[in-house]
Amino acid sequence: MEMDTSIQKSQTSRVLKQLFRNKRAVVGGIVLIMIVLMAVFAPYISKYDPVKQDIRNRLQPPSKDHIFGTDQFGRDTFTRVIYGARLSLRVGFTSIAISLVIGSALGLIAGYYGGILDNVIMRFIDILLALPGFLLALAIVAALGPGLENVVIAIGISYIPSFARMMRSSVLSIRELDYVSAAEAVGAPDWRVILLHILPNSLNPIIVLTTLSLAGAILSAAGLSFLGMGAQPPTPEWGSMIAAARPFIRVSHWAVTVPGLAIFTTVMCLNLVGDGLRDALDPRMKNVG
Amino acid sequence: MWRYILRRLVMLIPVLFGISIFVFLLMHLTPGDPALLMLGEHAPTAQLEALREELGLNDSLPVQYWNWLKRAVRFDFGRSLRSKKLVTREILDRLPATAQLATAAVGISIIIGVPVGIISAARPNSWFDNIAMIGALTGVGMPAFWQGIMLILVFSVSLGWFPSSGRMGGWQYLVLPAVTLGTAATASVARMTRSSMLEVLQQDYIRTARSKGLPRRAVILVHGLRNALIPVVTMIGLQFGGLMSGAVLTETIFAWPGIGRMVVEAINNKDFPLVQGTIMTFALLYALVNLVVDVLYAFLDPRLRVRYE
Repeated sequence: MEMDTSIQKSQTSRVLKQLFRNKRAVVGGIVLIMIVLMAVFAPYISKYDPVKQDIRNRLQPPSKDHIFGTDQFGRDTFTRVIYGARLSLRVGFTSIAISLVIGSALGLIAGYYGGILDNVIMRFIDILLALPGFLLALAIVAALGPGLENVVIAIGISYIPSFARMMRSSVLSIRELDYVSAAEAVGAPDWRVILLHILPNSLNPIIVLTTLSLAGAILSAAGLSFLGMGAQPPTPEWGSMIAAARPFIRVSHWAVTVPGLAIFTTVMCLNLVGDGLRDALDPRMKNVG
Repeated sequence: MWRYILRRLVMLIPVLFGISIFVFLLMHLTPGDPALLMLGEHAPTAQLEALREELGLNDSLPVQYWNWLKRAVRFDFGRSLRSKKLVTREILDRLPATAQLATAAVGISIIIGVPVGIISAARPNSWFDNIAMIGALTGVGMPAFWQGIMLILVFSVSLGWFPSSGRMGGWQYLVLPAVTLGTAATASVARMTRSSMLEVLQQDYIRTARSKGLPRRAVILVHGLRNALIPVVTMIGLQFGGLMSGAVLTETIFAWPGIGRMVVEAINNKDFPLVQGTIMTFALLYALVNLVVDVLYAFLDPRLRVRYE
């Protein structure tokens, strides 16, 4: 076991070194950390309330008091955007956590046991894949009703197939390797083989997929909220902010422009970090996407 | 080849069957009574009960599903709760607008994406390559609904070049929606063309062609492109799913009268038959396009063609 951890350590440091050499990934990572910090410390960064209206100051252009102006209810756009980061990040992380756990578990079981179990699971995945992800999420939200929790569930389900398929194919390639046969030969129980031998060795592609899916999940959540299926006003959510401020765009575009830039920046940074991780962790995947 | 296509078509049946259960259940798990929605809050109980009976809402779920499925396989999804028109009619009326928009978007992605990818691969890490690839990353990360609004702000509100919404005929109406919908696809096609081209250019036959003294341009365009385009074709086909999703947002922003906007309206109106019909149509189109892409892929790649014959 001791040797195991030292090998792991040297591999981690090699991956990190390669990641830090990738300028795009580093820039993406730094901006991402800044976004997370802004979200966490939002109440300390801005003195304004993200929800309280101030009708007399509505649709103001940027000024000393409001660096990105105010929206149709006189609320500070910058404040709403940094509070919005909390929501978008939370929605992204929870929905991908759902798909990560359920998808990977399904993929592991299907890949390890094969046979009927594999067949049943993969046919279920095929059904989920019968619709493009965003439309599947839209259909699920349509059934569950609008709301941010339902968006999380819907997006979580819509990303299950990617994780299940990725996990299954990596399990299939690993389970034929000698050390897995060796573990099975000495009578290790299934759960031990899966948790100690197969899972740790199929983590790399899953890490990359998680990062890139986070970007997609945040984009989808904003899209669903824009359509009125997600966060409801006055919640400071990026997509619903854009939808709500859109009718006033001829007077002042700031309350539309800034939340959009926030979505764009977050998604772009996640993609940059994801691409960097892919190149560092798994050179074979370089051409995917 | 035909056997392969036939086998794929047969394999579609269980998937469509599965999605039909899914779509049916989704709409029946939704809170809200369709009869109440159709007649309004103040309808007399007897009338509500009669309508429930007529719609089959009093039967058990499996019976309701079976009755629904029997009609659905003949593309009969009933009538829209709102417009009272046949769902199939509604879909057929709106489909051409979406098809036009999607075709224009795919056109943009090929006309811009493929050449950009080729030039980038021909001169990797040049200034052109760097700008193009940053542009491609931008295109992938841009929320379509926001990009659409920004285009309206610049090209409709400020410059007045293009109309901001509707589809009154005239190509001017198509420009902004098509650009909005085509951006993400263009970015993916450019990235795919570049990486596929880079891989092909490292092959032995390219070196052979070069060492025969053929000009670089000819090698890239004739020997390289032909082989590099095979995965690009798949890529363009795979954009279709993204285009369907993108159409929902793009059509909503530009008030484009296609099925993408219709499904959003149907969901907001709780118009269940229309939602079910549209989602099933999306699934069917998606499956058929994926099949066409796979067949085309096999057709373009002689190595695969042999395997299917």
